[in-house]
Amino acid sequence: MSASNYFNKRIILVITTIFAVIVINFFLFRIMPSNPVDILISPLQGQEKMDPKIKEALMHELGLDRPLYIQFIIYLKNVFTLNLGTSFLSHRPVATIIKERLVNTLVLMISGNILSILLAVSLGVIAAWKRGSKTDVGSLISALTMTSMPMFWVGGIILLIFSVRLDLFPMYGTTKIGYSHPNLISFLSDYLHHLTLPMITMALVSFGGLFLIMRNALLDVFSEDYIFTAQAIGLSERTILFKNALQNALLPLITVIAIRIGFMMSGALLTETVFSWPGLGYTIYQAVEFRDYPVLQGAFLIITILVILSNFLAEIIYGLADPRVRTQSNESA
Amino acid sequence: MSSSRLTIFRRRLTKFVGQFLESKLGIFGVLILIIFLFTSIFANYLSDYPTKATQGNLKDRFSPPNNKYLLGTDDVGRDILTLLMYGGRISLLIGFLAAFTSGGIGTIIGLTAGYFGGWKEDVLMRITDIVLVIPRLPLMLVLSAILGTSFWNIIFVISVTTWTGTARIVRAQVLSLKERAFIESSKAIGASDLRIIGVHLLPNVFPLILAQMVLGIGGAILQESSLSFLGLGDPLSISWGMILHWAFSAGALSSNYWWFIIPPGICITLVALGFTFVGYALDQIVNPRIRSR
Amino acid sequence: MTLLNIENLTTHYETRGGSVKAVDDVSLTLEKGDALGLAGESGCGKTTTMLSLMRLLPSNGKIIGGKIEFDGIDLISIEEEELRQSIRWKRMSMVFQGAMNALNPVVNVRDQITQAIRNHEDVKKEAAWERVGELFQLVGIDPKRAVDYPHEFSGGMKQRAIIAMALACNPDIIIADEPVTALDVIVQAQILELTRELRERLSLSMILITHDLSVIADTCTKVAIMYAGKIVEQGDIIEIFKNPEHPYSQGLLTNYPSIKTKRMTFTPISGRPPDLINPPPGCRFHPRCSYATEICSQEVPVTIDLGGGHYIACHLKTN
Repeated sequence: MSASNYFNKRIILVITTIFAVIVINFFLFRIMPSNPVDILISPLQGQEKMDPKIKEALMHELGLDRPLYIQFIIYLKNVFTLNLGTSFLSHRPVATIIKERLVNTLVLMISGNILSILLAVSLGVIAAWKRGSKTDVGSLISALTMTSMPMFWVGGIILLIFSVRLDLFPMYGTTKIGYSHPNLISFLSDYLHHLTLPMITMALVSFGGLFLIMRNALLDVFSEDYIFTAQAIGLSERTILFKNALQNALLPLITVIAIRIGFMMSGALLTETVFSWPGLGYTIYQAVEFRDYPVLQGAFLIITILVILSNFLAEIIYGLADPRVRTQSNESA
Repeated sequence: MSSSRLTIFRRRLTKFVGQFLESKLGIFGVLILIIFLFTSIFANYLSDYPTKATQGNLKDRFSPPNNKYLLGTDDVGRDILTLLMYGGRISLLIGFLAAFTSGGIGTIIGLTAGYFGGWKEDVLMRITDIVLVIPRLPLMLVLSAILGTSFWNIIFVISVTTWTGTARIVRAQVLSLKERAFIESSKAIGASDLRIIGVHLLPNVFPLILAQMVLGIGGAILQESSLSFLGLGDPLSISWGMILHWAFSAGALSSNYWWFIIPPGICITLVALGFTFVGYALDQIVNPRIRSR
Repeated sequence: MTLLNIENLTTHYETRGGSVKAVDDVSLTLEKGDALGLAGESGCGKTTTMLSLMRLLPSNGKIIGGKIEFDGIDLISIEEEELRQSIRWKRMSMVFQGAMNALNPVVNVRDQITQAIRNHEDVKKEAAWERVGELFQLVGIDPKRAVDYPHEFSGGMKQRAIIAMALACNPDIIIADEPVTALDVIVQAQILELTRELRERLSLSMILITHDLSVIADTCTKVAIMYAGKIVEQGDIIEIFKNPEHPYSQGLLTNYPSIKTKRMTFTPISGRPPDLINPPPGCRFHPRCSYATEICSQEVPVTIDLGGGHYIACHLKTN
């Protein structure tokens, strides 16, 4: 398959998947056993029954009294104009809330991912290089154990040790509450200070799986013929590892990272909750707790689209990195 | 079953057990699981302490580990060791049921897609791709919010989001089996689809499914703990995730009540690890494509 | 002038089942300008011999005894660092079976050859690139293809590229391990023709390892036949092909269809190659030999000189 074919195919897949998710998002929230209006009203009025006229008025306002297919069309129109409704709780536009929180999730996921990849690759290289040694076996057991730990628990332990007991880092939020920063540097350093523990948690939670993949990929590469060629040429072990083996092993890693982005999003949700880090994951958690359906629906949609797009980005990176995909295959003698 | 079939089955079983016992990981995993199963099942014999929230000894709440309470007490004065033992029941039960259901769904979808092919395969595989791409935990949260939280709802929510792995593996296996002569000759004889699937395909695919399910129990236990932690577990039951939920809600973190937080997590980790080891050992035996490292 | 002298080489592999005596008491010489064919069935030790030469044995392989002398240098005792820098590729290089993944799929061919050159010579990248272009022309590939990746080459082209890489540092000896086995007959002929040309032009010495005797007949000047880790017969190519004296050689060489005769049946050598963890006592071939006598199962035959460089290890000829 030629290079442009690879990308075209993927673009079409991405677009259809996003559309499918938009549709699913609509129907998902229509299978509720109870009427969302009841849930909206009850905390406000604190009574079992409500004036049917008020209920009718609210249903009309939310568009819940129209036939389903009309609701669907309105929904589609709203989504494409980025009108995601209004929060039941705060009465602010959902889109605004999401915009505020999106950055924090992106920062957390990207930094956590980078740290995780660095850890996984370095340890993976060492483990594969010294295969069978104590370092290798030790890392294997540690990685396996880490993948069996509940993600929120890891966050809790880190909080307990580094924040509560050692008082080195703050317990929650992105910046000190109620403090206004005099300049950008002060703000950034406070932000980074708050980011440290959640970021480490994200990295620890996902590095185990990546490490195992990296180690396996490298061991696979070591048994390939071209590594034997490199030895016959007389290249030093270090040159063979870094200039011949590593590039080959990193390719399947890109694919794995792409697949695991959804998993990392789940991890982000839990980490954000434990550290009260105001990102989209925490938003979803709060929306569920308070039954704030518009926010829930909006945040869920955005998160899913985010994952799909990141996936796509990773696939593009792979397509550019692997020469077998990048170049048109030429079969001339 | 005829006697010859029985002997073949018994011989296969012995061979399988022999292979399994060669795996150090597998044995270690089984040991861990036996310990936890034992303490869960016989919890009421092993401990006298009450587990209902109303029966807690409020005087003794939040006490660190001591002679009376080996692992300390929770926010309402219940013995944590006892809670852990009983908690194992729900965690293991939900884990098992969810993994079993998930495996079942995955098998049906994988078999149908692989065997029938055509548009059925395309549709099913597209559904699989879409479910795969939606982030799992957020989806579980949305479903829990919509359906409500109860024992069976949790099992439903977990199974409906985790069947994709099994579906893909089963389909791949069916595709490779389909090429083999015995399927073609069965069809030529006139065997019905159901018979071919049930008699020829299923027995061949079964070991793979079993390994997947065992691996899946560990995953399901972790999912349940996450859901419970977030407050979406069955509020009436005790699971390790629920204990952690109570711990965080009661402020155990900021008050440094480590005995409330660390032990439940260790239990979850050990059990998940146990299932991972056993599942891995099984996978080594049944997966035709694994090369030894 | 003797370029390479292997004396009594013995190499074993340590496995869980025991010690595999893959190469036992093997002696070979290679004169400058010679093309020595190393023939034998799979598992007879020819590849192990070659691996021992460059000390590229896997971790469980060990040279137990013997001597390997190359241009006055003792290859067994030389330091690893020295071996890497001055012997491997610089003076002895290899041509692999093209079907193997012998080339790194994510590095273009020019860069791979450049890496080999710059490992041994202190030259600028651009100078190395020029050399790659010349090498490509030498082996018959359009030099513009040098920046392509291995998967973009056809089978025959890949083999030529591998040959180009082997020539990159102007080695004295090229060891070719099944260089044409994976190619179709027409391409085979082309590559063999190329090999002959190159040998003449560059005065190369060569060791050609293969199970295919017709390939050896086509390109080699000398041949050594191996069986179960031992050399059973070696000598001048025409001499051996015309007068094979060892029963194994006879079995191999008479099983060739000839365009000139009408023979339709073949007499295969009965039996199977032996287990090298516990090889048969005495002559390793005796269980399959139709002429075996009592002494064959008791004593290992000594290599004797039948004259004219024709050596054989067989009890039948010792008398």
